Amino acid sequence: MTSQERVLTAIAHGTPDRVPVDMGSTPSSGISAIAYSNLLQYIGRTDLPILIYDVVQQLAQPDDAIISRFGIDVIDIGRAFNASLSDWYPIRLQNGATGYYPVWFHPQLREDGAWCTYDDDGKRLLSMMPEGATFFDQTYFPYQISYPEDYCDLDAQMNRVMWSRDVHSPWDHASDPDFYAQLRQKTMHLRKTTDKALMLVCGCNLFEWGTFLRRIDNFLMDLICEPAQVDRLLDALLERHLATLEKVCAAVGDIVDIIRFGDDLGMTTGPFMSPEMYRQFFKPRHRQLCEYVHKHSRMHTFIHSCGSIYQLIPDLIDAGIEIFNPVQTNCAEMDYRRLKREFGDSCTFWGGGVENVGVLNSGSPAEVHDQVIERLEVLSEGGGYIFNTIHNIMPDVPPQNIIAMFDAVREFSERNRAKSAG
Amino acid sequence: MSNLENLYQAILGGKREEAVDATRLALAEGHSPQYIINNGMVQAMHEIGGQFECGRAFLPHLLMSARAMKGALDLLNPLMVGENRRVSAGRVVIGTVKGDLHDIGKNLVASMLEGAGFEVFNLGVDVPNDVFVSAVRDHDADIVCMSALLTTTMGNMKEVVTALTAAGLRNRVKIMVGGAPLSEGFAASIGADGYSANANQAVMLAKNLLGLTK
Repeated sequence: MTSQERVLTAIAHGTPDRVPVDMGSTPSSGISAIAYSNLLQYIGRTDLPILIYDVVQQLAQPDDAIISRFGIDVIDIGRAFNASLSDWYPIRLQNGATGYYPVWFHPQLREDGAWCTYDDDGKRLLSMMPEGATFFDQTYFPYQISYPEDYCDLDAQMNRVMWSRDVHSPWDHASDPDFYAQLRQKTMHLRKTTDKALMLVCGCNLFEWGTFLRRIDNFLMDLICEPAQVDRLLDALLERHLATLEKVCAAVGDIVDIIRFGDDLGMTTGPFMSPEMYRQFFKPRHRQLCEYVHKHSRMHTFIHSCGSIYQLIPDLIDAGIEIFNPVQTNCAEMDYRRLKREFGDSCTFWGGGVENVGVLNSGSPAEVHDQVIERLEVLSEGGGYIFNTIHNIMPDVPPQNIIAMFDAVREFSERNRAKSAG
Repeated sequence: MSNLENLYQAILGGKREEAVDATRLALAEGHSPQYIINNGMVQAMHEIGGQFECGRAFLPHLLMSARAMKGALDLLNPLMVGENRRVSAGRVVIGTVKGDLHDIGKNLVASMLEGAGFEVFNLGVDVPNDVFVSAVRDHDADIVCMSALLTTTMGNMKEVVTALTAAGLRNRVKIMVGGAPLSEGFAASIGADGYSANANQAVMLAKNLLGLTK
């Protein structure tokens, strides 16, 4: 099987020749620059460049050599952009190694050791990575004080938010006049030169844009006390997202395998909102996004949604979501056995393969190995599963554990193959 | 309905203006600020906390109630001086640790503790270890609460515990920790007195640690 066939077979709930694997196809299934740098050092590949393609979360784009070494089956089409080293410039990572930022990203170092980004006028602080932190946090919320009279300047305001302003590839090229033509041409090239499944990260966030524009505490309260304003904002966002999807589907909808949306709907202890609120504000709009994609492309719909979302999964499936990530199993009601039992036939899980906190970052390689095997036995049964950690591999994860994790996936697949052959 | 009952209902329903109005009327009726806190505010926050805990209310409701409660408290705080000085359930210093800018959860914990009758000193985010130590000393705190959202910053909590010990304050103050990547086990491993998974549990934990539970 090719990697693409393997991933598509799993999504179709068939049995692939081995468990498909992801690391780095999305900015929520990837690896931090520091963890990546430590990994390269450990395996003696410091010759490979550390390209920090997601500057907000400080994530590295895995090199072709790493993708091949660990048997990764899916890639982000964004990697076809900024493909020359002249698209990058060197910086020093916290661990002393050399990493590379895209040429357009120039945060400023403040006296207190914090890296900061500012608005065009240089005055308004938009995001900050304090000394000791390993990614940027948003510090400016355009509609924090109040909702606007109209949404004529929605694009401009969204562009004051780091998630849009400092967005990863391919979207850092979205203002190029021929962006969609480039997107098609580069994606075609990837399709011809690799057997991997192709992922397009295309946020279309609804709840999250509410929280980025209003700040999360305000937006959560708005769901109760400003429902008309929430609807107005969500309509404006939906119109914008659908316009993007129209162009995306026309450009690459026949080539890309999976389109990734994002909307964190959960926290550790439960969903941010009641299922009724989800149904009122978000479900109809998620449905419109999914319906558009399914009608106008061959792409599968994937949502990244952190936290405890068990209570919302049936509605998300009903709205048209096919794939769930990151399957945050350390949260309330998110036991992977129960998720697989209750929803395994109706969706694909993409993640949940090993606990990032407590095992992958601080356990022994043997503990990592055992947990991966234990989970694969349940999650990969009957297809509908792509192996991935829970969210990004953070800087505190030792390379030995990353290797133990991939070794365990391989061992599991080989054992299964031998079993079915025998 | 009495004004205290109105206040209770306004906070429970998350209605800030109504809560402020009811507080003003309760004062005009001659109730002391302390009485209003104990007999309107604390009970309403206890009720919404309970509803949140059992899944009948969600975070938006809890935030709305906390905001309504804060509105009422802002009216009462300036009146609690001199002889009328507030009798608090305990003094709490709270902050997000060094390197970490996340504060929504931490602020909600601060509000919930205030709503439960604690006096809260909120140090903000990205708080250096020595600032925690000096705040505990300066405010004669009974409890210090630390928050972290990142696996990479939660390690700073242990350093604060060490710094409090070095400053000779460890035996005078209870240490509570919270934040997405944390657990009971982690709290124990760094020598904290307790961990809570959400803002409501933080209130229960604070009361337990100070022996205030009935």
